[in-house]
Amino acid sequence: MAKRIHEIRDPIHNFIRLDSGEREVLDSRPFQRLRYIHQLALTYLVYPGATHRRFEHSLGVMELAGRVYDIVTEPDNTHESIRTIVPLHDSYDHQYWRRVLRMAALCHDVGHLPFSHAAEKDLLPEGWDHERLTIESIQSREMESIWKDLKIQPDDVAKLAVGPKKYKDATFSDWETILSEIIIGDAFGVDRMDYLLRDSHHAGVAYGKFDYYRLIDTIRILPSEYEDSTEPALGIEEGGLHSAESMLLARYFMYMQLYFHHVRRIYDIHLKDFLKKWLSNGYLPVTLDEHLKLTDNEVTAELQKAARDENHPGHDPARRIINREHFRLLYHRNPDDFHKNPNAAKAIYDAACNKFGAENVRHDPYEQKKSVLDFPILDNDGRIVSSQAKSVTLKNVPIVAVDHVFISPKYRKDAKDWLEQNREIIITRKEVEES
Amino acid sequence: MKRLQRDAVMLSVIENLGAEGSWCGETHIQKATYFVQELLKVPLEFDFILYKHGPFSFDLRDEITAMRADYLLGLQSRPYPYGPSIVPGESSEMIKEWFPKTLKKYNPAVEFVTDKFGDKGVAELERISTALYVTLTGGVGGSVESRAQRINELKPHVETDEAREAVKIVDEIIEEAREVRTT
Repeated sequence: MAKRIHEIRDPIHNFIRLDSGEREVLDSRPFQRLRYIHQLALTYLVYPGATHRRFEHSLGVMELAGRVYDIVTEPDNTHESIRTIVPLHDSYDHQYWRRVLRMAALCHDVGHLPFSHAAEKDLLPEGWDHERLTIESIQSREMESIWKDLKIQPDDVAKLAVGPKKYKDATFSDWETILSEIIIGDAFGVDRMDYLLRDSHHAGVAYGKFDYYRLIDTIRILPSEYEDSTEPALGIEEGGLHSAESMLLARYFMYMQLYFHHVRRIYDIHLKDFLKKWLSNGYLPVTLDEHLKLTDNEVTAELQKAARDENHPGHDPARRIINREHFRLLYHRNPDDFHKNPNAAKAIYDAACNKFGAENVRHDPYEQKKSVLDFPILDNDGRIVSSQAKSVTLKNVPIVAVDHVFISPKYRKDAKDWLEQNREIIITRKEVEES
Repeated sequence: MKRLQRDAVMLSVIENLGAEGSWCGETHIQKATYFVQELLKVPLEFDFILYKHGPFSFDLRDEITAMRADYLLGLQSRPYPYGPSIVPGESSEMIKEWFPKTLKKYNPAVEFVTDKFGDKGVAELERISTALYVTLTGGVGGSVESRAQRINELKPHVETDEAREAVKIVDEIIEEAREVRTT
């Protein structure tokens, strides 16, 4: 008898299970491409273990999405005031949305570019981002028959996969909003849960671990009564508060230790410089067929070639990556300078460009997005309260902000000396208001 | 508008809301900013969609986060069980001093909105801002009834009676705002 449920071994979740219909999605060309897209771009040049791919991360997100769905739709866990939006347990709708959610979770990254996030904004034509490519992939003719066999609507999958911010011109019902939050939500999105755990495991950076079993068991759909509203949102029971705190702290530490490590960031910049020079018209392809053909493998092969060939248009950035001749850190954001001038790093970048030439300087500003300000907590007395009212820790989780200026290795010493002498003059210049 | 220039206007919105007695949580700021931008036409360039408690901008959420990182905003605890207020941070005065002309130019628009919204809670702000969203995005005809029904469709937890009242309030605000925009 043919096997109906398939198990895949996974270092984070032990076993990930999916049925034969869902495996058709796994075996599709858009999903198989993720085997060749690194989860953390060139981070493996800094943390050698970080060679894992979007493929296994997406499987993990599917697994966790199903677990959260089962918990929040369990009748005993359903808050009275939101019962009308949750499909009846074991009804057709309940099963339908469970499948849609798992497939959206599985496909949420299929639009990723080679080397994942690296420089997406500069490498796609106006109006495009990886979420739009995700939508196009899910709604493609190639996937049509798979969705039909699974008896689910591709639009429903695409909506949940990218959420209301990126699925433009569509209205999300309260239920659809909650489901998309399960995948990509700022507070309890399983995308984040999986990437923190998985990146931590592979990079060997222990800060990303947290008690996600406990956290998932306590997730609930709750009305935001503490805000004087009955609109539903994802929250937790009070017993999960410490695991939620732990996850948000894990995120902060992982950003500071891993995602925004300055050497990783400059490799991303060199990679963007290389792609801009190598690609015809400077943009990555957005037609589905071309998108599916281009992975990290093709880019890596070209990088190697360009690093050896002085006449290759991308020779300079390629050799910086392959030969580890990357630009060096000249300046990074710090509170003292920031209080004098919030644009201190930009001011130093501009001055360094004037002094050493723009081709020898790079600027890398980033401030955290998707901050979790608040979420509802069902406390032990049955009241729904703000997470900030319950947790001093959550209120004090720092916001991630980095701002780097890099300099070519050949000017490293000169630039350090120059900055030492001119730093105060440069950063105390204030922005001039235009009339 | 440059980023810090826009932050100066946002600080003005937040300070004025606080001065008018607002709790000044994220929702209050989101809805007030929606009116400042879409009705009073202050070019803040946030992208609003219908989401949490009505019109909502993910860009604005990101900007509030960035302003917290930049010491322009902070969080202040509120009495249990409520969430925090968002308040001006230690670097906020410096930024306002950098952009006096900008603040002067947009002050009437900011004051008009914060005066209207300062005493309103989240539920009322949700109804009123969704009413403006439905009115501005159109597609349902101009009558009070059709707009009220649309609000109820989009936000089922808002009763049609409440939606009707919200549409009437929005129509009054739109009328009053004409004078502010022309001065």
